Amino acid sequence: MGRLVTGLQTARTVLGDTRFSSLPAGKRSPVKVPGSELSTDALPPGMFVNMDPPEHTRYRRLLSKHFTIRRVRELRPRIQEMTDRLLDEMESADGPVDLVQAFAKPLPTLVTSELLGLPETDRAQFGQHVDVLFSLSSSGEEMQQSMMGLGGMLHALIAAARKDPGPDILGRLTVETDLTDEELLGITIVLLIAGLETTTNMLALGTYALLRHPEQLAALRADWSLMDDAVEELLRYLSVVQIGPIRVAAEDFEFEGQSIRKGEVVTVSLPAANRDPLGFDDPDSLDIRRGATRHVAFGSGPHQCMGHHLARLELSIGYESLLRRFPRLELAVPAEEVGTREMMVTYGVLGLPVRW
Amino acid sequence: MRIEIDKDLCCGAGTCVLLAPDVFDQNDEDGTVILLDATPGAEQRAAVEEAVVRCPTAVISIM
Ligand code: SF4
Repeated sequence: MGRLVTGLQTARTVLGDTRFSSLPAGKRSPVKVPGSELSTDALPPGMFVNMDPPEHTRYRRLLSKHFTIRRVRELRPRIQEMTDRLLDEMESADGPVDLVQAFAKPLPTLVTSELLGLPETDRAQFGQHVDVLFSLSSSGEEMQQSMMGLGGMLHALIAAARKDPGPDILGRLTVETDLTDEELLGITIVLLIAGLETTTNMLALGTYALLRHPEQLAALRADWSLMDDAVEELLRYLSVVQIGPIRVAAEDFEFEGQSIRKGEVVTVSLPAANRDPLGFDDPDSLDIRRGATRHVAFGSGPHQCMGHHLARLELSIGYESLLRRFPRLELAVPAEEVGTREMMVTYGVLGLPVRW
Repeated sequence: MRIEIDKDLCCGAGTCVLLAPDVFDQNDEDGTVILLDATPGAEQRAAVEEAVVRCPTAVISIM
């Protein structure tokens, strides 16, 4: 059938060993996953998540300059501004609001859209397509449709960037690289999908986790210098990417005393690895002071999330600004009534009614 | 302590830069690592050792 990796160290080793290939051929998921019903030739070139080095390396190098620490740090004031504006709007509504709709979703959408140069008028429709692609309950047909709808929107965006390249990533890529339109399409899809859903779920689910652990929240409120540690611990504890990464053995080989056969499918469970008792003491408890920096919430190896600095920045600005703005933030429903996204690729809350 | 890096395999994640900014930097053109100081002092050892462990492609070594 296949193998499941649950240990932290083995997860890192597998993800760093390119004999475990990322090519789509032969990949099977242990559960039904969006996209698994798409034929692989429907994937445009440029979807570097499904590539091995050296092809993968080429794309990665062209893109990495936009996600270096230096570059990401320059975005801080702008992200703070977007955050504050959303919180202003939230504050002006009285009574409970759904934090997902008011904050957790719009913030990454604004940040990612601006980075890519997606016009405001396209953002709502774009979000709908992404929702379909990420839902485990979408049919193959719905997915194909959303994929096409998204493709159409992005083709128009790429054409506009070629005509009049802006300072955004897409604009820069049209000027500075010789990537084809098809490649740009694949890259853009990867960046959009990676930048949105995961951060949204971390923002909402992380807030929920803190509200459910009042002693942790109080410690953070008493000492904001714990924020970076809190972000790492929430990334570890929540591990929102529930399914995959999935790899396929490219050859027969011995690995950690086991015979791996070519074509065998290996699924890495990031949530399990991040709760490996050999990696973390008392792994099932949330402890923002534990310094949980060695987690694999962003994956590991050459495919490790390229946007990890950006994600960390959005999360630390997001959590801190939210908690500072609303010193008495609390759930507006009993905790057990908050629904979670069990059947989704990325874990999260369906909605998070809060008041202050 | 002497540091070696297999640059070909660096994926430009910049984790090393985050941990030891006096030792590592990131190339503005492709995000790959730039070794600022191949023989840093002992005060950098803990940070560099952490970078060795956390580099996603495990390309940093201490000789
Ligand atoms: S942490 Fe490793 S992969 Fe990332 S920039 Fe440094 S050397 Fe390269």
